[in-house]
Amino acid sequence: MQGSAGLTAYVPLIVMFVLAGGFALFSVTAAPYIGPRRYNRAKLDTYECGIEPSPQPVVGGGRVPVAYYLTAMLFILFDIEMVFLYPFVINIDALGLFGLVEIVLFIGTVAFAYAYVWRRGGLDWT
Amino acid sequence: MGSQSFSDALGVDYGALAPLLIVLGGACVSVLLEAVLPRVRRRSVQLVFSLAVVVVALAAVIIRATSGAGDVVVLAGSLSVDAPGLFLWGTLLALAVPSVLMLADRSVEPGGVFVADPEALAEAQERVGAGSLRSTSSGLPSGTGTDTHGVVGRRGGAGPEPTTPPEMHTEIFPFVLFALGGMLAFSAANDLLTMFVALEVLSLPLYLLCGLARRRRLLSQEAAVKYFLLGAFASAFFLYGVALLYGYAGSVRLADIAASAAGPLRSDALLFAGLALLVVGLMFKASVGPFHTWTPDVYQGAPTPVTAFMAACTKVAAFGAILRVFTVAFGTTALEWRGVLWAVAIASMVIGTVLGITQTDLKRMVAYSSVAHAGFILIGCLAITPAGLSGTLFYLLAYGFTTIAILGLVSLVRSGDGEAGHLSGYAGLAQRSPVVAAALSFCLLALAGVPLTSGFTAKFAVFSAGLADGMAPLVIVGLVCSAIAAFFYLRVIVLMYFSDPAPDGPTVSLPGPMTTVAITLGVAVTLLLGVLPTAALEWAGAGTFLG
Amino acid sequence: MTTTIGEAIGFWILGPVALAGGLGMVFSRNAVHSALWLVLTMLSLGVIYMLQAAPFLGFTQIIVYTGAIMMLFVFVLMMVGRDASDSVVEVLRGQRVAAAVLGIGLAGLMIGAVAQSVGVPLAAGAPSGSNVGGLGLLVFQRYLLAFELTSALIITGAVGAMVYTFAGRAKSKAITQKERVAERLRGPLEKFGSRSGPGVFATADSVATPALLPDGSVAPESLSAIIEATARERLGHATELSRPGDEHDTAAHSHHAERGEIQGSQT
Repeated sequence: MQGSAGLTAYVPLIVMFVLAGGFALFSVTAAPYIGPRRYNRAKLDTYECGIEPSPQPVVGGGRVPVAYYLTAMLFILFDIEMVFLYPFVINIDALGLFGLVEIVLFIGTVAFAYAYVWRRGGLDWT
Repeated sequence: MGSQSFSDALGVDYGALAPLLIVLGGACVSVLLEAVLPRVRRRSVQLVFSLAVVVVALAAVIIRATSGAGDVVVLAGSLSVDAPGLFLWGTLLALAVPSVLMLADRSVEPGGVFVADPEALAEAQERVGAGSLRSTSSGLPSGTGTDTHGVVGRRGGAGPEPTTPPEMHTEIFPFVLFALGGMLAFSAANDLLTMFVALEVLSLPLYLLCGLARRRRLLSQEAAVKYFLLGAFASAFFLYGVALLYGYAGSVRLADIAASAAGPLRSDALLFAGLALLVVGLMFKASVGPFHTWTPDVYQGAPTPVTAFMAACTKVAAFGAILRVFTVAFGTTALEWRGVLWAVAIASMVIGTVLGITQTDLKRMVAYSSVAHAGFILIGCLAITPAGLSGTLFYLLAYGFTTIAILGLVSLVRSGDGEAGHLSGYAGLAQRSPVVAAALSFCLLALAGVPLTSGFTAKFAVFSAGLADGMAPLVIVGLVCSAIAAFFYLRVIVLMYFSDPAPDGPTVSLPGPMTTVAITLGVAVTLLLGVLPTAALEWAGAGTFLG
Repeated sequence: MTTTIGEAIGFWILGPVALAGGLGMVFSRNAVHSALWLVLTMLSLGVIYMLQAAPFLGFTQIIVYTGAIMMLFVFVLMMVGRDASDSVVEVLRGQRVAAAVLGIGLAGLMIGAVAQSVGVPLAAGAPSGSNVGGLGLLVFQRYLLAFELTSALIITGAVGAMVYTFAGRAKSKAITQKERVAERLRGPLEKFGSRSGPGVFATADSVATPALLPDGSVAPESLSAIIEATARERLGHATELSRPGDEHDTAAHSHHAERGEIQGSQT
């Protein structure tokens, strides 16, 4: 897999990106021209559905609560854990039982952190 | 393919790895304990567990060292368990015992240094009066409100009863164990990639620990942010250096780098550029010379037990790694790069000494003194000889215990609701508390390098190794700096003994049993290594690094 | 190792884009814009990795850095408040000039060192086998200690985030769904809950209060079958439930009197 020979595999992906981007661009630019324009008060009103988001980021220039940060942080940690799983599954035959022990140890120790966060209410949203 | 053959091929030697595995496994279990234990029992269980982990790991190191098992490179060449490595491991674990004891102590102030929520605690105390605070184990104003009112009502003011100290951050114990595990791996890492990950493992918990002094929230968090930002910056330098060295040698193993340097494969520019960047990262952790700028602020802002742990153990781990990198990977090219590091060592000694004189805060003074000492230790590292190696190892052991004792004593001298950091607070301390003043004087003399203390033996070992390796100018600078530095240590002693205490000066708290043990251990080792250094020196000189 | 045409084209397009992203990050005043510039740099780097026949690294770069870590950056910016701007006061005089000179000097040295050495091919050739496979063998055999140490880093990160945000803080009482329903029936909370829309004359904001038609009669669509059918005691004691029919006005008025204020249109 050297150079551009390996890259041909990505051509469909690139085509898809281009199509998706083109569609978004097309929709946004075309809508004002081809869509009907019949405004009324109700359409311009704030759309409300269900319970208002709480707590609302209204003070301090749109600050968000720290709980978002914690969730994002935890997401990254488990994201990184997941990244290690790809090379493992590809080599699962070559690595054998010892490799399995390694990955179980890894996942197990990270699960300790998960247990800690869970028990301390890091996953509660209040 | 069976797992047995695989683990053999990778060199999984559980006997050699035992200390590292015990500490890291213990750290993971400690996190689990944190998750499952009820709040009231966390601290005691965590303390006992962490101490047990450290002691068992220390025992494993001693067993390994005395069993005569040979030096091995384990885990596919990523870890080298050799005689100097075992000495470093033993030093780290031995220093961790008093550190953990000091971290857990909370007799001096309610809740200890790591109290989770000092405001809530103070509120709860105000509500019920300091005497009858029965249980703030829940730590919440609302929870304790009803709880304690009930108690007061029932007992009807029957006099003060023993209080259960309030909640602290018990997460410090897993943090310390993880940092310790990272230090063990760092000082024994045989390739630069493992060294880098270990560097992060040891740094991250320290960054977190620095910011946990909730009573002085701003100072403490400023220290944590400074340490983190500069530490991340230094890690980036380290990683850049690793990348260049990989480009040079095609491998990150220390021995392979030395082998590549021997062959005339390519221009050495890459080798020395890589070394320079690597050294920046390593020197930062060891707070050497011009890379020391974080040291005073972090030493001052961090909770004092954390400062003690950091000052003692990080220095050991960082210099262990420096020794290994210099000896194994760059030993053959030493003549070419040593001149630059002479300048670094001189800068470190001069900066530490000159700025140390101007300090008025004892913790900052200790910080600058550690910069100066880092310069002295670097002399031993630069002499890439067996004598230099053993001298450096001995210096690290001696310096660590002395520093822990000093910072333990500093935490006892208090004014108002915090530590009396300012030097003026130490005026006439000998009249208030002769024992504390005597112990502090002894340790300061050890830092100054007065005979019959460990500091003298250590300096002697390092300087003589430097002289033998042809670094006379460096040693002369070291001696001059030692003489100047002695001035500011003696100034504190004179202040303690020969001036009158201020009427509203600080008081000396009675230390709890754990701090007492930690300080006693530090002072005892300082004395012991000064009077009978032979055994430790012999162990330090027992072997050489295995690449 | 020769460079193919495709690789060269990709590099000459993506390299300047990555550089522009870096410069944009440094020079844009708004922190959120900086973060977005950084996304551009990281995406370009990810594609460059793929061009260099390192697809796994490229995708990891995009998934972990662009996806996750940038998200964290933006969260932190939002936590600090997007209005917060940097202080442009130089604390140490001449620091910027000195930093620029030293930085450029260091960059020059590094470029020189690397340039001197590019003539000789790298000692390490490309590994055999597939990209991810070769990487996996290295991670799980040669560098297994580093790999397992990573889990220590992850644990420390998770516990540290908890310690600095949640643990040790007094935990606020969780509001259950049932309590929330009862609150909504009582009327809006101080902060949460929905209020009547602008231009609407309303005497109460409870969801149980029916809407009135222009002639003053109750709009049947505004009556919730579920609320009407639920026994009063199940919804909480203080809840003043309104019944369909003529008493609506009085019910609404008692509600309003109870709260002591008219919570009507909110502009």
